Amino acid sequence: MSLFWIVIRRLAEIEEIMATSKKVITREEWEKRLNDVKIRKEDMNKLVMNFLVTEGYVEAAEKFRMESGTEPDIDLATISDRMAVKKAVQCGNVEDAIEKVNDLNPEILDTNPQLFFHLQQQRLIELIRNGKIEEALEFAQEELAPRGEENQTFLEELERTVSLLAFEDVSNCPLAELLDISQRLKIASEVNAAILTSQSHEKDPKLPSLLKMLIWAQNQLDEKAAYPRINNLSNATLEDPTV
Amino acid sequence: MPSATVNKPRPSELLSRLTSAEPEVKVRALREVKNQIIGNRTKKLSFLKLGAVPAVAGILADSIDDVTDNNNCNNDSNNAINILVQSAAALGSFACGFDAGVQAVLDAGAFPNLLRLLANPNEKVVDAVARALRMIYQSKLAPKYDFLQQKNMEFLISLLNSEKENVSGLGASIITRSCETNLEQKALFDAGILRKLNSLLEGGSLSQRDASLESLATIFRNNPEVISKFAGPEIGRPLSSIIDLAKDRYPRTRLLACMCLIVIRNASPHFLQDIGIKTKLIHILLELLDDPGQVGDEAPFAFSSLIAQKEDLQKLALEANAIDKLHHHIKKGSLHPRRYEGILLALDDMCSKLESCRSKFLSLQVLNLLADALTDYNAGVRAAACICLKSVTRSIKNLSAGYFMNETIVIPLVQLFLDPSTSVQVAALGATSNIVVDFTTRKSIFVQCGGMKQLVQLAKSMESSVRSNALWALKNFVFQADNRLKEGVFSELTASLLSSLIRDPEPSVQEQALALVRNLVDGCINLIEFVFAEDGLILGAIGRQLQCASKAEIGIQGMYALCNVASGNEFHKEAVMQLLFTQMGDKNQSFVIKFLQSNDSRLCTATVWTIVNLTCPSSPGAPGRLEKLRNAGIVSQIKNMVNDPCVDVKLRVRTVLGQSMAFGDN
Repeated sequence: MSLFWIVIRRLAEIEEIMATSKKVITREEWEKRLNDVKIRKEDMNKLVMNFLVTEGYVEAAEKFRMESGTEPDIDLATISDRMAVKKAVQCGNVEDAIEKVNDLNPEILDTNPQLFFHLQQQRLIELIRNGKIEEALEFAQEELAPRGEENQTFLEELERTVSLLAFEDVSNCPLAELLDISQRLKIASEVNAAILTSQSHEKDPKLPSLLKMLIWAQNQLDEKAAYPRINNLSNATLEDPTV
Repeated sequence: MPSATVNKPRPSELLSRLTSAEPEVKVRALREVKNQIIGNRTKKLSFLKLGAVPAVAGILADSIDDVTDNNNCNNDSNNAINILVQSAAALGSFACGFDAGVQAVLDAGAFPNLLRLLANPNEKVVDAVARALRMIYQSKLAPKYDFLQQKNMEFLISLLNSEKENVSGLGASIITRSCETNLEQKALFDAGILRKLNSLLEGGSLSQRDASLESLATIFRNNPEVISKFAGPEIGRPLSSIIDLAKDRYPRTRLLACMCLIVIRNASPHFLQDIGIKTKLIHILLELLDDPGQVGDEAPFAFSSLIAQKEDLQKLALEANAIDKLHHHIKKGSLHPRRYEGILLALDDMCSKLESCRSKFLSLQVLNLLADALTDYNAGVRAAACICLKSVTRSIKNLSAGYFMNETIVIPLVQLFLDPSTSVQVAALGATSNIVVDFTTRKSIFVQCGGMKQLVQLAKSMESSVRSNALWALKNFVFQADNRLKEGVFSELTASLLSSLIRDPEPSVQEQALALVRNLVDGCINLIEFVFAEDGLILGAIGRQLQCASKAEIGIQGMYALCNVASGNEFHKEAVMQLLFTQMGDKNQSFVIKFLQSNDSRLCTATVWTIVNLTCPSSPGAPGRLEKLRNAGIVSQIKNMVNDPCVDVKLRVRTVLGQSMAFGDN
């Protein structure tokens, strides 16, 4: 946990320094200032829990709850449901994912036409990937065409997807990116966000924002001082100022 | 119907499984129906046609007493719970955003059963049922909720007090949908509902806050009394929580908070009037336009409600670069029709009163943009484009410069005269009415594009609003137009059509027809012959209509038409005299006296003007006519008006009296 300890101390430290003019700060001075900043462990635990819960690491969240006594801000049971949906999409079982989302909350897909369209689009892609061309054609005609009729903004995307059917060798066609696994991950992320929003939970964890603030604050401070900087976020080591 | 994909059972097969005696088969079938219809409007419709809704509603009704306590965990009770949950979810989905579905659910008698099930001990059942009811209450077709009944108010309070989001959300939806009158708003206030909603604002979840904002706006609408009671004792505090939410991180919350604040502003002159809040609201709404989803679609409508009819806000918005921003969004293209319509209407409101706004908008070279909108596939967008055009063409500076009378605009506009939607037709006619008041010599472009002929066709429409607006456009078209143009219009219209329009059953049509005649005969003496065509059809119609004018405006236009005729030669003046003295039934009093005695000074002025023309000293028959008028008591009536408070009346009266003295009157 020392990584987070330093990161958070850092931010508080930088804000303090902002007021003074550009000068050189030695590591000794810096670390002394860092030590003077007090951070509560409970706050950090909450950040960790928030990260685990939003990203869907159920077991880790459970363990962390037992070890630290931190309460999650969502019911952990719903996390498993959500993760099951995410996993289904990531494995290409879109129909299964849809059924699970509808069991969780039937409103989500009923009020999110774009998400629903993307899921159905993914179903088509999976059918094409598995070489089930006739089924794909039928599916496109029965399920996707009406989406385009109901909502003109989908027509362009629809045309792109359906044109996949025109290619004999789909893995080498211009639209091959649609068949890439990253497409599944994109949709999985979209579904995850929609479920979190429907549960009145924020769809992004707080930790990345915090790190972004750190980088921003350091950039601001660079104009005013030379100081020990964190250049590598993953190990958060302080690197001495260049004199 | 296209064949279903290999693994899926056909809809009719599914429906027959619903009737199965085995609970497990039933549950699976219900779940399958639900999964097929969620998000899929087309499927909802096809299942609807097969009678799915009564079938599912029937299952709900049959199972309503099967789950009586929460403790049984055996297979039977699980099935019973699932049947209720899945059937409620299916009904909810049929009702979600789909009016035909809502109607079907209500027709199937499911509503009272759903209400009953809110008291069910099982949480999942209550959740599903509350959600379904919420979907119904989002529709205009939802049954009206009677807030004034004590029992109902208590039930509503119990809903709002529930910890379950879907249930408290249902309470808020009921208020948002059903609360309409000031009486109902007061009843809700008296029952303490506002305090409850306020606590949800401050302590509730995201969806509870949003639902609260909508309900509060509904209760505040047009009710300054309730607003001041709410904001009163703790001055500013409850309002400040709404103001804070206008800066919330969620766009939908910001939009709903702004809409609530706008409702308060518009209803009550005491709150939220300082420039700070006005500027804030403008900025927040303009920024919400950037939202790619439904919030961005609705933002321009909220913006319109903020600035409509309010010049001070339009000025502030102009300074905040509203026109540039709105224009920028349209230029981006591929807009959702609702958003497109909203932005056009917002531009309309911006340009409705201030020339500075119109100049700014026109400086952005927008004619092509508007022409595109006029030909959009969506009727709402086309109508909004016409409405926007009407506001913009109020710019006299640009009208005089002939800026709008060009084919880019006129051709698509004329095409809209044949639009299948009446509201689009009427809106197009409104914009046309302004454009044809063109002071240059370019009116012929309108004729070349077939516009004039189309207008005459529309004057024969079955819709009275189309007839009167078409005549309005024609009236403006011939305003100070050259003789050739006027003759063209008259020959297209024909005397018999025009006279029948003067005698139209609708007063608004009569008024416009008379005004059209007024403009047609104005100017050149030859044009006066129009009213004498076909044995004086039009003149006769004017006379008959003036006898029984149902409102002042008809009298005014008719008198001005006669006034213009009376500005002609002897024959013309004598014809008008004859008209004025035609008796109808037993009435001995000419309508002239009635008009002169009217409270409407415009009507008096028009009548006196006619008398001025009839007694003009330069015409030989003037003394004779004056004598007739004196005998009919008209001159003495006019004498009584010599000190009329209206300046126009006074001046014309003195002209008449001056003219009469030239013939030695005492």
